[in-house]
Amino acid sequence: MTSLLWKDTKTHVSELKKRVPCDYAVDFDLKDVAAEDGYITTDKKSVQYYVRIAEISKFKESESLILKKKTGLKSIIRVLEVMDIDPLPISEFRKGKHKLSEVETFDTGDRILIKLEEKPSYLETLDQKVKDVVADAKKVGFDIPLSVAEKVSKHKKEMKPAVYKKFLERIMAELARNGIDPHEAVGIIAAQSIGEPGTQMTMRTFHFAGVREMNVTLGLPRLIEIVDARRIPSTPSMTIYLKPEFEKEQDIVLNVVKKLENTTVIDVADIITDVGEMTLSIVPDMPKMNDRLVENSDIMDALEKVKGISVISDEKDNRITVKPTQESFKKLYQVQEQLKVLTIKGIPGIKRAIARIDNLTEAWTVYTQGSNLREVLELDEVDASKTYTNDIIEVASVLGIEAAKNAIFLESQRTLAEQGLEVDQRHLMLVADMMTFGGSVRAVGRTGISGRKSSVLARAAFEITTKHLLRAGYLGEVDPLTGVAENIIVGQPITLGTGAVNLVYKGLKK
Amino acid sequence: MGKLNVLRHELVPEHHLVKKEDEDKVLKELNIAKDLLPKISRNDPAVKALEDIHGPLEEGRIIRIVRKSPTAGFSIYYRAISGEIFK
Repeated sequence: MTSLLWKDTKTHVSELKKRVPCDYAVDFDLKDVAAEDGYITTDKKSVQYYVRIAEISKFKESESLILKKKTGLKSIIRVLEVMDIDPLPISEFRKGKHKLSEVETFDTGDRILIKLEEKPSYLETLDQKVKDVVADAKKVGFDIPLSVAEKVSKHKKEMKPAVYKKFLERIMAELARNGIDPHEAVGIIAAQSIGEPGTQMTMRTFHFAGVREMNVTLGLPRLIEIVDARRIPSTPSMTIYLKPEFEKEQDIVLNVVKKLENTTVIDVADIITDVGEMTLSIVPDMPKMNDRLVENSDIMDALEKVKGISVISDEKDNRITVKPTQESFKKLYQVQEQLKVLTIKGIPGIKRAIARIDNLTEAWTVYTQGSNLREVLELDEVDASKTYTNDIIEVASVLGIEAAKNAIFLESQRTLAEQGLEVDQRHLMLVADMMTFGGSVRAVGRTGISGRKSSVLARAAFEITTKHLLRAGYLGEVDPLTGVAENIIVGQPITLGTGAVNLVYKGLKK
Repeated sequence: MGKLNVLRHELVPEHHLVKKEDEDKVLKELNIAKDLLPKISRNDPAVKALEDIHGPLEEGRIIRIVRKSPTAGFSIYYRAISGEIFK
């Protein structure tokens, strides 16, 4: 679908916004253009507004028009709606085979879209047999969990109809017996259920498990890391799966490993500073270079991107001399620091990558130290639907809050299972749900969930009492006494269990 | 190299946009006000992906999330798009 792109001023846009739907007279000829939507740019480089267009017609004098210019008007656009959007670079649009780079006055272009599709609904992909069981359960009078329905559907044939009905009734009774009661304090139960096994966890910070040469934080420190929602975990690591067509090809896998590992100049070479000549010499360390599969030309390529230096390559000496264009000690020092961390190749953040083969399936998987989910998922060979990182905050920013919720659940479950501890999944699901409730990953504790309760008294009872009371005092906060802690403070029945139910006695009528 | 479809990732459950006319029905069924629903950021990658399918989405639209649950087969969850997410 072709969209119309044009440049306009902010005043015109706000005028349009006020008066939509309206007719907008513009100074460019849109005779052969058919477009249902358009984008407005104010700086030629990116579009900031999205416009829905009803129709485009030839210019005709009329009173209700909004004019873009006073003279030279050629066409009228009937505008239905104007919306603010996050700036999109012009390069996201394509005209014919070329990407657009700038919009001078107006242009047409196709938004480059990779057809995204919603997943087919899980409900619709269900087996018909399972659907039947769900319908049968509904007749008996309850909603059956699908995991149970799947099991029942396998054995349905073996039962007589009367037995089958009785069986469903038994399931209903069992479900009712196991359900949690209204106003039960599930949070407290979850806290104790995770806390008690937590006391048995090892205090050792490091645990060498899984991949050799890899070092992943496990045990209590890892669990604390998860619930604290640390920005960067102490040992970020990724598990990278390759697309099925590549995962058995050893050469391709090793190539991916090379592509991943981030190599800087200091990893493969020494940098010598010559103060007299005001130059820096990069002396490649051959064993290290071979180990990391880097060649001199790779270093040269990387140096080309650095500004403010001139590079002299010396083939005989096998060293590369770099001279800052501006002669000063300060600049020399700056360039030296810059060269140290200059990436020759690889993905920033990934310190090491190791490929391992699964002996049963002969499929290779790559494990890394350090994590950079966004860039790894963009690699062609990588299976972007399975690749995983243990950095929860990164998952939240790359894949979204729901993925982060799943990651919290999986990571905490794995950490507990690693230590041989069994905690019911429901408790961990509750924690994961609470942490992601507000749309971002929040820590449990003072700075997170507990610190943001709506009740002043509950917050004051938890930590930093004076700060909360003082703040509530000058802001005039009101506490409706709906929670547990605040009701204990004032000496009322708490709003849990029977305390949450109000009974009203209606006298007998005489 | 194309744009990544986050909706395809294993960790990401189904996200569906709730039609505007169905929003009241959802809220009534849950017996809740819209601002009390769990939130999802406007800049959330999954919302961005939905925007590519449905066009721009304004704040307050409801997203139905169908999660695969280890205990119940699947469970339905709702989130409202919000512009003010504090980190």
